[in-house]
Amino acid sequence: MGEKKKRVLIVEDAAYMREMLQEMLHQEERSYEVVGFAVNGKEAVEKYKELKPDIVTMDLVMEEMDGIQAIRGIKKYDPNALIIAITALGMSEYKDAALAAGADEYLWKPFTIKNLFEALERLLRKRGNEGNE
Amino acid sequence: MIKIERLNYRFLILLSTVLGCAILAFFVGFVRKETIVYTHFFYIPILLAGVWYRKKAVYVALFLSLLYILITLFSPQATLSRYVFERSAIFVAVAYVIGLVSEERAKGEEKLKETKEYLDNIITSSADAIVVVDMEGIVRSWNKAAEDYMGYTAEEVIGTSNKKFFAEPEEAERIMEIVQRDGKLKNYRTTVLNKDKKPVHISMSAALLKDRNGIPIGTVRVSRDITKEVELEEKIKEERDNLNLILESMDDGVYIVSKDYKVEFMNKVLIDAFGDHVGDICYKAFHNRDDPCPMCKNPEVMKGKTVRWEWHSRRTNRTYDLFETPLKNIDGTISKLTIFRDISDRKRMEDELRDAKERYRVIFEHALTALCVIEHGKFVSLANKEFEILSGYSREEIKGKKWIDFTADEDRDRVQNYCEKRRKGEAPACSEFKFVSRNGNIKHVNAWIEPIPGADGCIASLLDMTELKKKEEELRETCKRLAELDKMKSDFLNVAYHELRSPLAPIVGYASMLERCELSDKGKRYLYNIEQSARQLEKLINRMLELARIDGKKIELSLGWVHLPELVSEVVKSLEPEAKEKRQKISMSIPDIEIQADKQKLIAIFSNLVSNAIKYTPEGGKININVGDRGEDIRACVADTGIGIPEEHLPKIFERFYMVDTSLTRKSGSLGLGLSIVKEYVKLHGGIVWARSEVGKGSEFFFIIPKRQKTIKEGA
Repeated sequence: MGEKKKRVLIVEDAAYMREMLQEMLHQEERSYEVVGFAVNGKEAVEKYKELKPDIVTMDLVMEEMDGIQAIRGIKKYDPNALIIAITALGMSEYKDAALAAGADEYLWKPFTIKNLFEALERLLRKRGNEGNE
Repeated sequence: MIKIERLNYRFLILLSTVLGCAILAFFVGFVRKETIVYTHFFYIPILLAGVWYRKKAVYVALFLSLLYILITLFSPQATLSRYVFERSAIFVAVAYVIGLVSEERAKGEEKLKETKEYLDNIITSSADAIVVVDMEGIVRSWNKAAEDYMGYTAEEVIGTSNKKFFAEPEEAERIMEIVQRDGKLKNYRTTVLNKDKKPVHISMSAALLKDRNGIPIGTVRVSRDITKEVELEEKIKEERDNLNLILESMDDGVYIVSKDYKVEFMNKVLIDAFGDHVGDICYKAFHNRDDPCPMCKNPEVMKGKTVRWEWHSRRTNRTYDLFETPLKNIDGTISKLTIFRDISDRKRMEDELRDAKERYRVIFEHALTALCVIEHGKFVSLANKEFEILSGYSREEIKGKKWIDFTADEDRDRVQNYCEKRRKGEAPACSEFKFVSRNGNIKHVNAWIEPIPGADGCIASLLDMTELKKKEEELRETCKRLAELDKMKSDFLNVAYHELRSPLAPIVGYASMLERCELSDKGKRYLYNIEQSARQLEKLINRMLELARIDGKKIELSLGWVHLPELVSEVVKSLEPEAKEKRQKISMSIPDIEIQADKQKLIAIFSNLVSNAIKYTPEGGKININVGDRGEDIRACVADTGIGIPEEHLPKIFERFYMVDTSLTRKSGSLGLGLSIVKEYVKLHGGIVWARSEVGKGSEFFFIIPKRQKTIKEGA
């Protein structure tokens, strides 16, 4: 883990989820900092461009623009963006679609705090490996 | 000459006796000078003359009387007395009487002679040979006809044995025997040899000759030369033999029976079928009857009629076409000639043909498609009921109508020569066209046109597709709607899943965070309960989705190599808290192998079985997981010491939503989906699953899956 805090953009349409994700990430205040929220895909892309976060947690089911499109939008803007898709959608097709669109990790709802940090670590490790290459 | 000589001889004797008498009388009268001239010897010439010259004897008597008188007159001693005259008169009277008697006799003899001559004439002039043979076989008479055809003259053969005449010498004795026995012989055929030793066929009739006392003295035989007839007969016989040969070799049975129902001939065909009954009486031999059969055509045929009829023989179980006709025999009698033609096969074929025809007629008539026969590619000659219904015309109206008349204008050109093209194989068997019925309604029909082999026609089978088309449209619509509904359902399920899981996220999330907080024991317990419930809820939601997916479309396996002990341990570990709570002991025996399977699904299989076991096993019970390596496959068993499953439920427990106990007192927390998921997943792996249970003692769940999947598809 680098000394620099990872800046996280939370994309979620449900307010309680946004709040919970922020709560969870603040449990590891030294490592993660929630820099902003977006409630739909469109806003997510805009916020990404504006805030340039290190990590995006992306809900897939949202109004106006869904998560998959948002992932594409962000990746198009910044191919190096780190995105973790978080959804309650059960079908593996969605996981495949999300990964195909460019998501780097995938997390199913419901998840425990432990699940979240494991997923984030996997994500960062992956990026670290890529950085090494 | 002979006659004259004989006459002279008689005359000389007479003359000499007369002379002798005269000399004797003269000698007695003049030399011995007896007193009485003896004249008794005078009777000798008188008798002779009377016999020979009949009444002329009177002259001899007169002469002798005169001589007597004269001698007496002139003799020296004798005296002419009354006595002399009396005696002279007696001489004359005697002569007269004898002459008269002779005369009468001679008349009779004359007559006899005439008769004899007449007979001799007949005999001589007879065309038939008339021969008299005595009892020793010596020929006594031989007439002209006999001379003619035998070549021998009467002189040559009279007095000789008749044996030499016969081709077979014994024949002479045989004929004699028959004549003696029967007193006659009639139309007896035999062969004799003429002088040139050439055979002559004769027909002989004979009678026994007897003398006055009835003693047989010989035989008279009348024979006729029948060589020509015999030759003719032989020719006829030869022809008859040829005919028989033909009859023998015929395929048809040939049978000849006499007027008296005696079987005279049967050819081989008939003998093979009925046995040889030649010589038997037909009704006895063939029908075991004592009198002629009532259906017998013999009387008719005897009248000269030819009869043809059909007869079924029960004995051979065959049917014959009988042709019976009179047959004139050589002897003039009539026999019945019967030709048996075995028509059983033909009959059977006819029957079959009739049956087949009838069957096809019924099929044609009652077919559920409209059928019609199109002659010469143009005219409808035959139609069935369904065609009537389709067209609205009666059958009489349909007959002779043009095929085109039933076609909508726009299809006419296409349909016009369709039959012709079909026949040449240029058109497809099935065509769609618009059919016009009587009231002008257009119907969409599918037409199958098949040329009728060997005939200038087609059979058209028309299926009214109008309704079907409508139905098809409706069905398509329904399908579309169903597909939409299906999509809606699966969309709904996905949404429902998502929407059900989403609220779980904060529950689980916050609970996990709460764990990190400092809590009182009570708080920890509450938290634990929350987490348990959340997990339970998640599991139920997951199962629902799984099942919806199994239901919806085929799911494919994500295959990979799975280390069995590791996998089972993982399952047990995840379920251990529940077991621990019920103080249950889970033991396992797993071989250290890897199998090819879908890991997630295999986990689901084991975890469903184990969690079921935990659920239905009372506190302190035992659960055993046993997996056996059987080479090609593995056999797994999850056994518990639970409440067990009543036998009647066993076959159904793998059915979806099936629950053994649906009362309000049931163990909650189950939707009856676990085992059906197990079954589906085992099936997907190409395996089978079953259960064994005893109420109150426990249950065993088994499944077998192959270690290697046939379609190797490495999972992502």
